[in-house]
Amino acid sequence: MAGVLLSEAEKTFILHGVQNDLRNDGRSKQDYRPIELEMDIVTHANGSARVRLANTDILVGVKTEIDVPKSDQPNQGKIEFFVDCSANATPEFEGKGGEDLATEISNFLRSSFASPLSFDLKTLCILKGVQCWILYVDILILECGGNLFDAVSLAVKAALHNTMVPNVETVAMDGGNVDLQLSGDPYDCWRLDITNIPCLVTLTKIGEHLIVDPTAEEEECSMASLVLAVTENGRINSICKTSVGSLHPQTLSDALKVGAEVGVGLNKALKEALAREEKRLQADKPERFGFLK
Amino acid sequence: MPTDNRRIQGPEVSTPYCLFRCSTENQGKIRSSSPDFPPVRKDGRALLEHRKIYVKTGVVSQAKGSAYIELNNTKVICSVFDPREIPNRVEYSQHGELYCVLKFAPFSCAMRRAHQQDSEEKELSLNLKRALEPAVCRHEFPNFQVDIYVLILESDGGTLAASITCAGLALADAHVPMYDLVTAASLGVVRGVLVKDPTEEEEKVCREELEGINQNHGLITVSLMGAHTQITQMWQTGSMTTTCVSESLTHLIQSCEEIYPIAQRCLVKSVVDTISKKKISEQ
Repeated sequence: MAGVLLSEAEKTFILHGVQNDLRNDGRSKQDYRPIELEMDIVTHANGSARVRLANTDILVGVKTEIDVPKSDQPNQGKIEFFVDCSANATPEFEGKGGEDLATEISNFLRSSFASPLSFDLKTLCILKGVQCWILYVDILILECGGNLFDAVSLAVKAALHNTMVPNVETVAMDGGNVDLQLSGDPYDCWRLDITNIPCLVTLTKIGEHLIVDPTAEEEECSMASLVLAVTENGRINSICKTSVGSLHPQTLSDALKVGAEVGVGLNKALKEALAREEKRLQADKPERFGFLK
Repeated sequence: MPTDNRRIQGPEVSTPYCLFRCSTENQGKIRSSSPDFPPVRKDGRALLEHRKIYVKTGVVSQAKGSAYIELNNTKVICSVFDPREIPNRVEYSQHGELYCVLKFAPFSCAMRRAHQQDSEEKELSLNLKRALEPAVCRHEFPNFQVDIYVLILESDGGTLAASITCAGLALADAHVPMYDLVTAASLGVVRGVLVKDPTEEEEKVCREELEGINQNHGLITVSLMGAHTQITQMWQTGSMTTTCVSESLTHLIQSCEEIYPIAQRCLVKSVVDTISKKKISEQ
């Protein structure tokens, strides 16, 4: 992904480390790197979050706007994902370089949000067939240090948790036009239900072993990786293979088991972190860190 | 957005009429037939019965290799062109690349498709590429790319699976060095009931969640290299438990293995035909 060049000897070193369940940064196979989470940091967005997973830095902003529902789904709102791989992250993203990766991530997010069990778009409907909320989820990749999928999904879930959708007071039809009246109080908002939104877990195969949260160097050593979208209760919302290699069916079913387990843990950790962050924000004088600490 | 003046442009906003027609009549039909997917489906198949497949190679004379696949109402055509140098690339790449473009014909679906690639087509193209990459000996043509164009003439469910099988055959027909043939199959889950090779209508039911105790629903497509039993791509949407996914996986691998000899026979036939033609011309 990121342009890391490794020699054969370095690759073998990483491979041996994985075989002995001791990776070169001291983690075991199923450990994540430390994750930092901050919410509500962009004033102009309805919801925002920043996740830093070791060297991977993701900033997500959610904007809510009013739109017309799709004609085949008149009682549903819309959600759209846009990933921007800026050339800041790695020179490889310059020009059209990051485009494929960006489409891959946004497509995968879309398919993992597709089930009404994970995110019910009906809650975003204002007036059937006429008006609905549209959520623009803009994902900015500020730094790229491996495992983008997982970091992006954590940031998206946090940003959606933080999103405030204004309450609509009255909806009236005036001839063919809609007359919407929003509440005058800017704090009169409702929050989205994020309980069943999945977190993405990337499983990378190095040698004969599956590891989670690969660093950029480890990604370079692997031929095949699988991304799973796992919800809080261990259901799988989406699966996709993301690299050039192929997998044996046995490896795949192992990956499912490991991925579901790790995913449940990740969701739980995120939930706790969100609650902590919420508390910090609600305190009288929330301790402010620098924007990008 | 650059506009295309050579093709018919629809008005900026238009709605297909079938939305208004289906809303009561047709949806009712799906609902009444779907709740538990009666053992016999609308088209007379059993739940775990694949549609009949027709495959043919060498359908486009201008292309290096081509193939056509038909699963009842799903019709896909694919052509593969000679390797050429990767355009606009400065660095040397050790492995050759596959350039996949998947396109729906404007009249292939119930809704009219635009001429420009939309996001769904881009997603399917990427999945197609990921499914074929492991099977091609890419080190044989460094710094070159092979162009694979897939056109869906008619879409009635299982389009990705049909495209992968078709493109795999077209690659083999184009004499691109490969480790193995790729075949793919799709499966739908609704209320925990598994349905092999769902049609468009059934896929739609699988995408929605139906109220019930068993909330598993969704679609899975798997592509397999038969001789090596290696899964080259797996693509799932919906919401299922891990047990449901593993169960579907077993069925899908079985389907892929069933399709494998059909594809093989098709290739053998094309070789035999070429040789006999050559003999006639020599005489």
